[in-house]
Amino acid sequence: MEKLILYLVFLIVICAGIFLWMHNRQGHFRPRILTNNVKAKIEPYLFILPVFIVLLLMFGNPLINSFILAFENYKLSAPNDIRFNGVDNFVKLFSDSDILLVIKNSFVYVFASVAGQFLLGLTLALALKKNFRGRGIYQAIVFLPWAFSAFVTGLMFRWSFNGEYGVVNDLLLKFNLLTERIAWLGTPGISLLVVILAMIWMGVPFFAIMNLAALQSIPAEVYEACEIDGCGIVKKFFKITLPYIKPTIITTLLLRTIWVFNSFDLIVVITNGGPASTSQTLPSYMYTRAFSSYDFGLASALGIILLLVLVVYSVVFLSVTNYNKAGDF
Amino acid sequence: MNPKIKKILAGTGRFLLLTFYLLAVLLPIYWISITAFKTTPEIINAQELTYFPRTFTLDNFRELFRMYNYGEMLKNSVIVSTSTGICITLLSILGGYGLARYKFRGKDTMLIFFLMTQMIPGILVIIPLYIILTQAGLINTHFGLFLFYLAVNLPFCVITMRSFFERIPYSLEEAARVDGCSKMRSLLEIVLPVMFPGIVAVFVFAFIGAWNELIAGTIFISSPDMWTIPVGLKSLIGKYEVKWGILMAGGVLALLPTAIMFAVMQKFVVDGLTAGAVKE
Repeated sequence: MEKLILYLVFLIVICAGIFLWMHNRQGHFRPRILTNNVKAKIEPYLFILPVFIVLLLMFGNPLINSFILAFENYKLSAPNDIRFNGVDNFVKLFSDSDILLVIKNSFVYVFASVAGQFLLGLTLALALKKNFRGRGIYQAIVFLPWAFSAFVTGLMFRWSFNGEYGVVNDLLLKFNLLTERIAWLGTPGISLLVVILAMIWMGVPFFAIMNLAALQSIPAEVYEACEIDGCGIVKKFFKITLPYIKPTIITTLLLRTIWVFNSFDLIVVITNGGPASTSQTLPSYMYTRAFSSYDFGLASALGIILLLVLVVYSVVFLSVTNYNKAGDF
Repeated sequence: MNPKIKKILAGTGRFLLLTFYLLAVLLPIYWISITAFKTTPEIINAQELTYFPRTFTLDNFRELFRMYNYGEMLKNSVIVSTSTGICITLLSILGGYGLARYKFRGKDTMLIFFLMTQMIPGILVIIPLYIILTQAGLINTHFGLFLFYLAVNLPFCVITMRSFFERIPYSLEEAARVDGCSKMRSLLEIVLPVMFPGIVAVFVFAFIGAWNELIAGTIFISSPDMWTIPVGLKSLIGKYEVKWGILMAGGVLALLPTAIMFAVMQKFVVDGLTAGAVKE
């Protein structure tokens, strides 16, 4: 408990300092003439400074180290043999026999899960737009997966799709949709499908909440005007709804794609990459390489490539959608 | 088609759709919950699956606390998540306010910087951090984990907080300023109370983010008495044997606090992000 207090004191002191400084600025007890221009200019930066420091410390510094690691022979198992080795790690990476499979898996996984959760989430938001009795409670339940950890969701799916004791097999057998049990997690190809389903389940509320907020922001008058002009449901959707929520759609799609691409805790919990790397994606593969063989150099090289892929993707995505307000939602 | 029939059809379709989503969420939760109350022989019975526990037992929960030190895990998770939540909320109020209320040079760059942080694969930071934290003597401490959670959850929370601030009319503050309030006082006494739902929402986001995290916890924390809930429970997944009953019990218990928090505040998020929610 005393540690908790220590952490809090650490940050509260920083924040309090800024609060205090700000408090004196433009205080009503001080004549306005004395406030000088320079202070006004640095004011916004001061607000953001603490955030910036944390991010720089925890992202900037490690990231630089990652770049260095990627060009080094760095194995925790051989601490005396750490040296610069050029592009060896990258060469090793691309000569890996699994790498093509892993790249293919990553694309299937990202595309299928993002498309699934986006469509289901948007549909849910549209269905929730009009108020009905009990909507508050309904939302509280249906948005719950957002609060779920990947760990528990993973367990849930792993248990439900268990080959012997799983409820999915049992139900499919009961309804005569199957003649014999499927080893969902032991069959190449199908195990990745289970991961995708779990990811979709977890991701629907994010799209639903963000898009619902955007939908509710559309002024009712716009619809009324369109109705007078004789718009049908379909026309209303494409002429009004879609253009209005386009910014939200773009930002949520971009963010979610990045998050889904980078997250692999579901994979670790449900399949652990198996059977035989068939459900391994790039980040989970990197994790396995880094912490099973402790080859940090190789893992960092892979990580750098991932980062580049995401940066290129984001730039292309934002320019294709012609949207320049990234990070705005 | 008769407009009345059309309306009924649309209503039914909407009802079926909403029911589908409800079941898709509730059935899996039901399934893990009842598994937690089953006896082990009933759980691993390939012949017959029971859809309601035949013998209702609390053994899984009892064993969880007695044999696997769940109480300790709970305490660790509460410490790390609460401190992460509080600090992120404070930092987000400052950062979000700065981004929402000022025009300044480099603002767009800063937003892009936030977006960039989201692109960094977590594991790419975890590897060098593992080395850095080891050198700083912070490996295997809650403080190290707290710092990581702080950084990871911060960008999204700052941006969300900014959106909440932007929904609050500036005139509210100006009025206070004219009455002689200092900038900080108008922020603390006028804006923050109106913002309260948004602040709760950001706290919950950060809390949930830290509460649920698995990978960094597994890597940074090695001694069992320091484990957070997901890390501790993961150790129950053996290579050959998985203790399903106990895992489910632990999972369900871990869900309760975050599920309740989220259920309470989800409305705040939707309302807070809806434009024009606060009328001038």
